[in-house]
Amino acid sequence: MQGPLIDTLALHGVSRRTFLKYCSTLASLMALPPAAGVAMAEAMAAAPAAAKRPSVIWLPFQECTGCTESITRSHSPSIEGMIFDMVSLDYQETLMAAAGHQAEEVLRKTVEANKGQFLLIIDGSVATGLDGAYSCIAGRSNLALLKEIAPHAAAIVAMGSCAAYGGLPKAKPNPTGAVSVSDIVKDKPIVNIPGCPPIPVVMTGVLAHFLTFGSLPDLDKLGRPKAFYGETIHDRCYRRPFYDQGKFAKTFDDEGARNGWCLFELGCKGPVTYNACATVKWNGGTSWPVESGHGCLGCSEPNFWDAGGFYKALSMPANPLRMAAGAAVAGAAAGVAVSFANRAKKKDAKAAHETTTLADLEKSEER
Amino acid sequence: MNLGGIPILAADPDAGLSGNALPLLREIAERLKRLLATGEAGALDLHSLPLTPADRAWLKARLGEGEIRVILDSDGESTLDETACPGVWWVTHRNLHGAVSVELIEVAFVPELVKAHPEDVQNGLAHLELLMGDLR
Repeated sequence: MQGPLIDTLALHGVSRRTFLKYCSTLASLMALPPAAGVAMAEAMAAAPAAAKRPSVIWLPFQECTGCTESITRSHSPSIEGMIFDMVSLDYQETLMAAAGHQAEEVLRKTVEANKGQFLLIIDGSVATGLDGAYSCIAGRSNLALLKEIAPHAAAIVAMGSCAAYGGLPKAKPNPTGAVSVSDIVKDKPIVNIPGCPPIPVVMTGVLAHFLTFGSLPDLDKLGRPKAFYGETIHDRCYRRPFYDQGKFAKTFDDEGARNGWCLFELGCKGPVTYNACATVKWNGGTSWPVESGHGCLGCSEPNFWDAGGFYKALSMPANPLRMAAGAAVAGAAAGVAVSFANRAKKKDAKAAHETTTLADLEKSEER
Repeated sequence: MNLGGIPILAADPDAGLSGNALPLLREIAERLKRLLATGEAGALDLHSLPLTPADRAWLKARLGEGEIRVILDSDGESTLDETACPGVWWVTHRNLHGAVSVELIEVAFVPELVKAHPEDVQNGLAHLELLMGDLR
């Protein structure tokens, strides 16, 4: 049995003020009122430090390692690293030294020794096509591995849009039959942390929540922690006042763009995207897509890849410009017909996963 | 093309202002009244508010600079600067890489972080007594 957490931290050279500062950061991150940081610090400092570090197993499925890249930018070498030292990351293929049979042996032993207690983190979607043969580790399909290990986990964290919703592998026509973790596992608490990749501190923030409060955070209907995904990008965007005033950038290099006006008309998906980018930002709080002058792609929403053009305003009907041009030449009825023809063509192209260029559309109109 | 051929456009000083900073002054005034009446301290988390960089600069300029600047060197540098309005502090926490992690406006006689915790004072006293014992 160990003493209060604050004493353990003191042994690691972490002062009370450093800890208070960390809690203040965490409160800001979780969108709690600033006073909550002080309350949280008092509660956490007095709580006994865990006697044994909870075991964490991280399995990579159909993924690009972007989520791992992102999370490694989070803690090192800050105090989040200290708290991170309080988990035992027993299996993470990218970070672990072991390889081959040795690594698989670690996985088997960890599951055996921590049955019902370890936290299972999964990044990447689960391939179900050809019995899961599209993605295998050590000769076993991801699907088989998930079905074997998930029943023994205390809880599952689906890290990134692929694990949470299927992500890019699931994009049409989904050749590998990719699905999300929650499509396969039905009887375990699952936290979805979507994003492509998710914000580093959001990942560690959820783990910190699990470690400090011993429970999973409140989730929304898509299984995302409300603290980070409770509000839209749009609602917390510093450019929001310009939206309210009707000031929009029309191109990426006009006066509105230079003045930092709203990017809605350039296809920003901020109004329908729930994430913390606007407040937490990226690269250690340096900037984020909208601050860099580009609209939000909506990467933390299901099926964002197939949701239409990244540069098409949310309010736009399928093809208003074509419709107007056609109407002027051949009358309204013909114009609408052309627009519908183009829309159908675009829909077909989308289904077949081809790209439709402006030139293609013009050709079809001439015909 | 020579340098003179590139047209130079002076930015409009009000270009980035959204008008969202003014209500914050009222909120700060309310919190100051509460501080005087009940002694209750408060804080505004600037990261959670939709402010443009220009709004933030405007707010900082309006609040001005006071007499006290506190530098806290722990896990990255933090600055707690009193503004021209006593009791209103502009607090910036940075991480080890120098990036801003939190920016707050605190309304308090002294920010909580500046005060020494009684337990830490106790430890300091023990250290001092040990030191004196060695020197005897």
